[in-house]
Amino acid sequence: MTGPAADQPPAGPPERGIPGSRTPGPETPGPETPGPETPGPRGPESPAGPGDLIPGPVAAGPAARPGPDVPAVAPGAGGLSPQGPGGEGDGPPTGAPLRLSPKVLLTDPIRMLPSLFVPLAGVLFIGGFSPGSFVWAAMGVVGSVAFAAVRWATFTYQVVGDRLELTRSLISRSVRTIPLERIRGVDVSAPPLHRLLGISVLRIDTGAGGDDKQEGELDGVTVEEGERLKAVLLWHARARTARRVQARGADQVIGEAGPEGLADGVPARPGTDTGAGTVRHEVGDTTPERVFFVLPRKWLVYGPLSGAYLLTPFALVAGAVGLAFQLGTEFGIDRRVLVGAGEWLWEHPPFLVAALVVLILAMPVVGAVMYAVFNWDFSLRAREGYLIAGRGLITRRSVSLERRRVRGFEFVQGPAERGAGLGRAWAIVTGLGDSQTRGQLMPVAPKGIVLDVVGEAIGPIATDLRPHPPAARRRRLFRAIFPWLVVAACALAAVELWSGWWWVLGAPALLLAVLGVPLGLDRYRSLGHTYDGTRLSVRSGSLRRSQAVIEERAVVGWTLSQTWFQRRAGLLTVTAGVGAGSGGYAAIDVGEDDGPAFAAEVTPAWLTPFLVEPPSPGVRHGSPGPPGSSPPSADSANG
Amino acid sequence: MSDRADEHNTASQEAWESDRSAGRRRGGPGRDRFSLRDPANPVSRKAIVMWLLEGLFWSVLLAVGSFFLARWIDEDRWSWLPVWVLDNIWWLPGIILVLLIPGMIVEPFWRYAVHRWELSEDVVYARSGWISREWVFVPVSRIQTVDKAQGWIERMLGLATVEIRTASHAGSSTIKGLEYEVAAELAEGLARRAEELRDDAT
Repeated sequence: MTGPAADQPPAGPPERGIPGSRTPGPETPGPETPGPETPGPRGPESPAGPGDLIPGPVAAGPAARPGPDVPAVAPGAGGLSPQGPGGEGDGPPTGAPLRLSPKVLLTDPIRMLPSLFVPLAGVLFIGGFSPGSFVWAAMGVVGSVAFAAVRWATFTYQVVGDRLELTRSLISRSVRTIPLERIRGVDVSAPPLHRLLGISVLRIDTGAGGDDKQEGELDGVTVEEGERLKAVLLWHARARTARRVQARGADQVIGEAGPEGLADGVPARPGTDTGAGTVRHEVGDTTPERVFFVLPRKWLVYGPLSGAYLLTPFALVAGAVGLAFQLGTEFGIDRRVLVGAGEWLWEHPPFLVAALVVLILAMPVVGAVMYAVFNWDFSLRAREGYLIAGRGLITRRSVSLERRRVRGFEFVQGPAERGAGLGRAWAIVTGLGDSQTRGQLMPVAPKGIVLDVVGEAIGPIATDLRPHPPAARRRRLFRAIFPWLVVAACALAAVELWSGWWWVLGAPALLLAVLGVPLGLDRYRSLGHTYDGTRLSVRSGSLRRSQAVIEERAVVGWTLSQTWFQRRAGLLTVTAGVGAGSGGYAAIDVGEDDGPAFAAEVTPAWLTPFLVEPPSPGVRHGSPGPPGSSPPSADSANG
Repeated sequence: MSDRADEHNTASQEAWESDRSAGRRRGGPGRDRFSLRDPANPVSRKAIVMWLLEGLFWSVLLAVGSFFLARWIDEDRWSWLPVWVLDNIWWLPGIILVLLIPGMIVEPFWRYAVHRWELSEDVVYARSGWISREWVFVPVSRIQTVDKAQGWIERMLGLATVEIRTASHAGSSTIKGLEYEVAAELAEGLARRAEELRDDAT
């Protein structure tokens, strides 16, 4: 219990010092700090109002610390929410909309300088140092300052109730609303120029998947304002952590991630993670490291079968040529020599062919070497709630995956691997960037062993996949063959019209069209989906057959899509939105009735209100109350 | 190992087919029977105007582009094109217009028939598209941000777009062409309800 207390001081002092001393006055207008309102209306909905949250049983330590300072600021944020439901959106905003520091008028244009530099240099080069070019330069500078000023003037931010609203209004008006509850971390950074001027950049991490567009960024707030805002924004996050610890008790925190595992993934907030870690220590659950798997060296030769690094020789040659062209002049090699060498090779086909053969023969060898260098001594261990995958000969990298953030895995096989009975696996982890390289659980290894290890570390793979309707086979075949047929037809037309050279394009296209037959059939055989009560699984692909197994609680939404062709074939694609891994896992070309039925089977509470009739008898029984189930109450918002 | 899997596949496929035919007999007209119902609320009627204007904008752009392309080709007599193409190049803008205009006129009405949305049982259910369609289900408890945006056409018409984001692109939804007040109310209600539910779930 002292764990959280010990963690928070680092964050505490700055927030306490600054907001405590200055902000409450000017920034959060006094009248709103709603002493009386807060506990009342909010009480019934959330277990605790801002006031009584922190002092709760978490610990005396953290409670005492944020207590005095944060409420001075935060109730302004938290306290208004109770008015929301009553006032139906007309509730008065908490603070006046705030702007960034005007100092951005200085930093923004300076940041734009590099992009202005090239045109300015061009102008100077063309026009010389004539008055005209100075006018142009001045216009550029004035323009960028004006642009910065407009940006500054049109952008406001404001904490309204329990939300942070970022508003930009010029011609279009857009409001981004970030619920404070959703904020996982706030990162204050100050690039050199910002530091010089005493302003900073505030990045708000909501853990939203994908692009930066979903995150909030305030570029250019004064340092004090930044710290104040950070305190306001993080207060909620910390309160939530405290509540969770309080609600569950330490044991459960270790054991399971709970339905809200998504919100738990807080890379930018060491408070939560280390807090939980300390709790673990206290409970005495310090299990020693456990080794799931160590890759035997001889299995490294399986690497090239996955196709990994196979193109390395070509990449090396291309890189060498590029480098020679770039650095050639510096080392006294003339470009003409290089071009000449290329031409000579082109004119002597035997050598060209020989070079190609050498490169092709080198493919498996170089591929194996590269693969071995990167996957040397691959090992998968478990230690204190983390899965740790270590690998590498020269650079030894080890990736720690927090087990309570693991939501499933992806089992991948290429055609060669399937022939040899091999496979690879990746973990699907919330909040793990670059998951394709970092999430690797198992390198290429015999299929049975991969599944055993993964089954032990995460969970068993789903079998008994339900096949997709025959129309899906026609579609797979059509898609594998038709594009190449079109190319071949065009090439044949070109042969007729222009010259026989077009056979160079036409013949391979015809060959690919023929190969499309087995490919399409195999793609159809790969298709499948299933749900076993806790995990859903989808499989697709032939050249990279990938089966994803995902826990039901990781699903955050569904997208069903149907192109015109699918509509005619009576098919649709069901994509489960998952806040981890690649973000969405699709069951391609499911039957038109089975698609909604599948989604409804996984998350009955979300889908059944929208189904006309219970789709099929097999579905009805599988409806345990999912975490998403909630009382029907928001129908008032329908109007 | 794969052989066994394939065997299994064919076996369960037969099961699937029999199941499906049974379903057809039970459920009436097979292909058209679709078990998702329409979302309750249409978008604003003014959205038709919005899509019409958008379509007009792009059509004009394409038509003007093809006109200039035709003029360019005609003046320069591109040598790699067959003669019959060069002789009839002025058909190009015409064909493009003939293809575009019906699409431009049909699309808004088609879209208006397809685009619908609903919020009930704390799930946002939205349908969109025209030739291709998309149904999105976003449970309010998983919503991370709710944005409300207005492009210039929307602003002119008093419409707005609500963008609902979760941690996954496949669980995120964009509802276009709502009345501004409806959009504001929806966004407000969603943001608030998301907080409440998130509190409970945590």
